[in-house]
Amino acid sequence: MGTHDRKDLFPGALEMMVLQILQHQPMHGYALVQQIQKRSKDLLQIEEGSLYPALQRMLKDGRVRARWGVSTSGRRVRIYEVTAAGARHLSQEILSFEQLLEGIRLVLAPVKA
Amino acid sequence: MMWFDRVFRHRQLQRDADEEIRLHLEEREDDLVEAGWPRERARLEARRAFGNVVRVAEDGRAVWRWNGIEDLIADLGYAARQLRATPSFALATTLTLALGIGANAAVFSVVYALVLQPLPFPHADRLVAVESVDSRDGSQPAPLSYPTFFEFRRSNVLAGIASYRDTQVTLAGGGAARVLNAEIVSSNLFDVLDVRVAAGRRFVEADERVGSSVAIVSHGVWTSQFGGNPNLVGRTITLDNQPFRVVGVAPEGFNYPAGTRVVDVWVTPAVDASANTAQPITEQRGARMLGAIARLADDDTLDRARARLDGVAAALARTFPDSNGNIARTSLVPELQRMLGDTRTAMLVLWGAVTLVLLIACANIANMLLARMADRERELGIRLAIGGSRGRVIRQLVTENLLVGILGSSAGLVIARLLLGTLIPASADRLPRVTPMTLDWRVLVFAVVLSLLTTLLVSLPLAVRVGRIDFGGALRSAPRGATDSRDRVRSLLVVAQVALGLVLLSGAATMTAGLRHFTHRDLGFRPDHLLTFSVAASDANVPTVRQIQFTNDLVHALRAVPGVTSVAGSMALPLAGEHLHLAFDIPERPSPASERPGASFAIVTPEFFDTIGATFEAGRRFTDQDDARHPRVVIVNRAFADRFFPGRRVLGRYIEPGATSDLDPPDGSTRRKEIVGVVANVRQEPLGHDAEPMYYLPYAQLAWMTPPMIVRTTGRPEAAEADIRRVVARLDPGAPVHDVRTMAGVLADGVAGPRFQTLLLCGFAGIALVLVATGVYGVLTYAVLRRTREIGVRVALGASQHAIVGMISGWALRLVGVGVAIGLVGAVAGQSIVRRTLLDAGLSLTLPLAAVTALVVMTSAVAACLPALRAASVDPTESLRSE
Repeated sequence: MGTHDRKDLFPGALEMMVLQILQHQPMHGYALVQQIQKRSKDLLQIEEGSLYPALQRMLKDGRVRARWGVSTSGRRVRIYEVTAAGARHLSQEILSFEQLLEGIRLVLAPVKA
Repeated sequence: MMWFDRVFRHRQLQRDADEEIRLHLEEREDDLVEAGWPRERARLEARRAFGNVVRVAEDGRAVWRWNGIEDLIADLGYAARQLRATPSFALATTLTLALGIGANAAVFSVVYALVLQPLPFPHADRLVAVESVDSRDGSQPAPLSYPTFFEFRRSNVLAGIASYRDTQVTLAGGGAARVLNAEIVSSNLFDVLDVRVAAGRRFVEADERVGSSVAIVSHGVWTSQFGGNPNLVGRTITLDNQPFRVVGVAPEGFNYPAGTRVVDVWVTPAVDASANTAQPITEQRGARMLGAIARLADDDTLDRARARLDGVAAALARTFPDSNGNIARTSLVPELQRMLGDTRTAMLVLWGAVTLVLLIACANIANMLLARMADRERELGIRLAIGGSRGRVIRQLVTENLLVGILGSSAGLVIARLLLGTLIPASADRLPRVTPMTLDWRVLVFAVVLSLLTTLLVSLPLAVRVGRIDFGGALRSAPRGATDSRDRVRSLLVVAQVALGLVLLSGAATMTAGLRHFTHRDLGFRPDHLLTFSVAASDANVPTVRQIQFTNDLVHALRAVPGVTSVAGSMALPLAGEHLHLAFDIPERPSPASERPGASFAIVTPEFFDTIGATFEAGRRFTDQDDARHPRVVIVNRAFADRFFPGRRVLGRYIEPGATSDLDPPDGSTRRKEIVGVVANVRQEPLGHDAEPMYYLPYAQLAWMTPPMIVRTTGRPEAAEADIRRVVARLDPGAPVHDVRTMAGVLADGVAGPRFQTLLLCGFAGIALVLVATGVYGVLTYAVLRRTREIGVRVALGASQHAIVGMISGWALRLVGVGVAIGLVGAVAGQSIVRRTLLDAGLSLTLPLAAVTALVVMTSAVAACLPALRAASVDPTESLRSE
């Protein structure tokens, strides 16, 4: 069953960001999109829809859970929050992401010099 | 999330996801409106920013999808819609498959119950039947004598060996006397079978000793005759006027020897050892009448066991050359195989036959699918052209076939049920082990596996076809009329159908001809208007003179019954397949003891030959004078005369059979018997090709219990039964009349096995013929439809209707001709299988073969007629305009 990750982000990046934001504060999908755009200062342009299959994947893997609630603006919304498993996954992902960045940095550094 | 959430909350999750997306769009839209966008543009912008809503929703759902099962369900739904759209196609394929699978499932349940299912004893695969091999009769297996059996048992070369022998006993007391099927078994039978009794104990060795009289009764007799009395064990019952102590009750459902005969009571060889004969058969080395069953040790093999037992048999042959000289070898076969005998091969042949039916059905379905596929080529072409993968299209097609397979096998199980419902009652008492037969899970599994296999089989040509679809070409108006590879495949399928159908039909025709031969041939006597029955005299242990008197009185009393014209006693009855076999000497040509000739014989009363209407060839019949006070005489049949006195005058010659009576003087002077008559070959066997040599001895010179009786009646023979029972009851109130059958019934029973097989085979052949006809019809109809334009052009150019019919039917006949040519080769092979394994009537098989060939050709011709006529009626203007 082909699922289409946005190719302009590396695999797992969207999920990492979502988990990071949700860990800070549970929120619904629309708010998540706005958070990502705000925090990245509009550098990351994600197609809004692509968030939802990613959320479904995280639900299925037990990294987030969802409940229906009411937003600050009084709208009916589906609020996501990080589970313990999600938090563990996030810290692991961040660790390996940092290692990856460090690796890339080390490889790129001499060329720059 | 747990798996059951995924299954049970699936729909909820999807609803949530869809709702969430809707709310997202709404919120974005509202935000934009708040920022000053017009409502319409805001809605569009919200959608633009979101991306493809449908795809996002679909991707979200895909996350939850379960290993393609939903795809399968979706495909099945699509397939169901496709089938609903073409109901006649759906009906035709489902019915065709239902016939094929139904026949297979029915035969499988018979084959399973009969052949595959193990015997109902612990570790039944270790049980083997033991017989002697008689080097005189072309190494035919022969029963054991008691002394030989005792030696085998004593030798301990097998883990255990037990003997058994059929007999009948009269159970007296508690109402009318009743004849029971009894089995005289060695005391270790239940140990060898490893069967526990339901109550009481098994036999022990002491039960075999002279004077001991104990019995184990069947569960059925325990409940029906003794009302399930819990205190039956230890009580005494009366069998043949002798007291027997019941020591045990067999478990429910236990029957040994397993088979159609239900044993009511088991007794021990003490019965044979105590019989008041000159020398009990337990001591007669030449009296071979025992079946034997042995258990092999776990680490033993059939060959090793046989080798060891052969050693014992060879030692016996050296010690007792007269009685054992020609049985120095033994035969060990699995007990199940002995019990099934020829039934096993017959069942496997039937299985082969239904497999042919299924193959023909598959060819038919494949043909219909190919035809339908041609109609759908445009649809499939479009799907391929817009990027559908060939694999996906093939999967869709296979799913459609799978649906047909599911429908067909469900309907097939219904058909199987109906088939079994009619077949089992017709055959239950004649086939061993057939009664507990039902459609159980094995049959279901079998049907499911079969439908999967057929689905794969019929999908193959489709898959090949999809691989070849040129989707550019499919979208253009396809050139119609050209013969392409698809037509070749379809033609091949028709050829295969005709060939397979012919094989099956010729098998059925051979069986039918054989069965007809056996039911209509000259039996050497007239079987109509004859009633046979047995009388169990209440006291069998009376002096021979009184036995003869009883039989004489019986004959006289029966003769007085209205409608009875003539009465005789005969042991054994003609046509019943029963044989008394006895060796004899020919004084003018003496031979060593171990090479004496032997033949079947019967002990008959004087009116026997006239009662059964036998043709007398020479000499005289027996008379009332042929008794113990007169010279001993014998009548032989034609086959006997030809075998033992070829080309010579038989009357006045002598033979010396071994049988003696206590009426004979002790000097042996009466052993020599003069041949005084020659009678036609009265058939003793209902089947069998060659007439067997027989000799007849007069009852008054060799009386041996009351013989089975035969009466000839003027009216319906069954009508005489009530009077006969009355007469017997007056003569001997304690003597039950049993085994009352007309001679026609005896013959019917004798051919019941082949009749059952013939019936099935003919049924399958009929189905095959219908399938072949529909196959030819379908292919031609479709071909004509596709060639309408071409035919239109031909007619427009001046071809006559005659020529068009000729063209189409010529094509059909070529296909059928090739099919018949191939089929004939298989048919000859099929006939030889039938002859070897089912029924050898020794008939010429050319006629049945010619008949079925004509039948196949004619059926195909009729099936080809309609499409050919349709072709002839093609209107050229219509057909050319329609494109």
